[in-house]
Amino acid sequence: MSAVTLPPFWSLVEAHGDELLVHARRMTGDSNGEDVLQDALLRALRAYPRLRHAEHLRAWLYRVTTTTALDHIRARRREVLTDEPPARAAEPEHYDDAFESLIGELPDGTQAALRLRFVEDLDYEGIAARLGCSAVAARQRVSTAIRTLRTQGIPA
Amino acid sequence: MTLPARLLDSIASAAVREGLADAIYTHLETPIGKLLIVQGERGVVRVGFPGERVDALLAQVAAHLGPRIVASDRELSDTRDALSAYFEGIDERLDLPVDLSLVRSDLRRMALTVLRDEVGPGHVVTYGALAAKVGHPKAARAIGTACATNPVPIIVPCHRVLPGSGGVGSYGGGPEVKRLLLAHEGATVG
Repeated sequence: MSAVTLPPFWSLVEAHGDELLVHARRMTGDSNGEDVLQDALLRALRAYPRLRHAEHLRAWLYRVTTTTALDHIRARRREVLTDEPPARAAEPEHYDDAFESLIGELPDGTQAALRLRFVEDLDYEGIAARLGCSAVAARQRVSTAIRTLRTQGIPA
Repeated sequence: MTLPARLLDSIASAAVREGLADAIYTHLETPIGKLLIVQGERGVVRVGFPGERVDALLAQVAAHLGPRIVASDRELSDTRDALSAYFEGIDERLDLPVDLSLVRSDLRRMALTVLRDEVGPGHVVTYGALAAKVGHPKAARAIGTACATNPVPIIVPCHRVLPGSGGVGSYGGGPEVKRLLLAHEGATVG
């Protein structure tokens, strides 16, 4: 049992499941979104009792989903393009680290937008205020970054 | 929530299969309204009446068993079937494992265990008589508290415990529900 008071896990699924599925679909293509979400929620469940605080749980679930989606994309690409050894079996213990390493190759401004969206859990209005651009531009920047990760710049 | 039910089922079942669920819950439609049933590894840990707040009950369970709580009708099908059989009058024994870890004192836990073991369907007992069965004949008031705070009503049959002064007395689900359950079991109430 954890030291902090965490809400029952399913209440998070009920509150955020819909938007996480949209996010998973957007990242991986419609047909794989459900697989990705299932995998992501199971990963989240494994890590859940080890969380040290009960804040920003929505943003945390977004990060786990993002990381899971990128792992799926990477695994699929390996299957298609190479005969490299299969993806690492071990899961990263801390999704924050995995997230940082995933976005590490991107331009600074892009990284900032992704962090504001998925680490700080800001909406596009909030991101716009922080980056000094319009909400439309903020949304564009985040979706372009996700597309970049999906199509090319995924670090191994 | 609009996530497909089949996806939610699949996630919950995978979680249970991998041993990732501290508890599982389900809602069951019954003649006394929609019940919340929460089950941990050792058995049913909480039954909630229609008027009770689901989020508060689940938070209570999370505090005791852990926060990895998932919803699944499928994973609780045995428990659902047993309760449905009870309400349909097919089998009133409700022979299900229970987990009394939400009960806050040993005396209360003992009282509820004795009640469940010794007072079957169709039978009733007074608070005083149950206190005597537990070996504390003067503890009728404490026994009353044990019944009033019973986390697993219906399965642990606190509805079969009546005041010595007559009538059905109070009940978590309301006195009407208590009367209905007793009538359903064929018990005569004075």
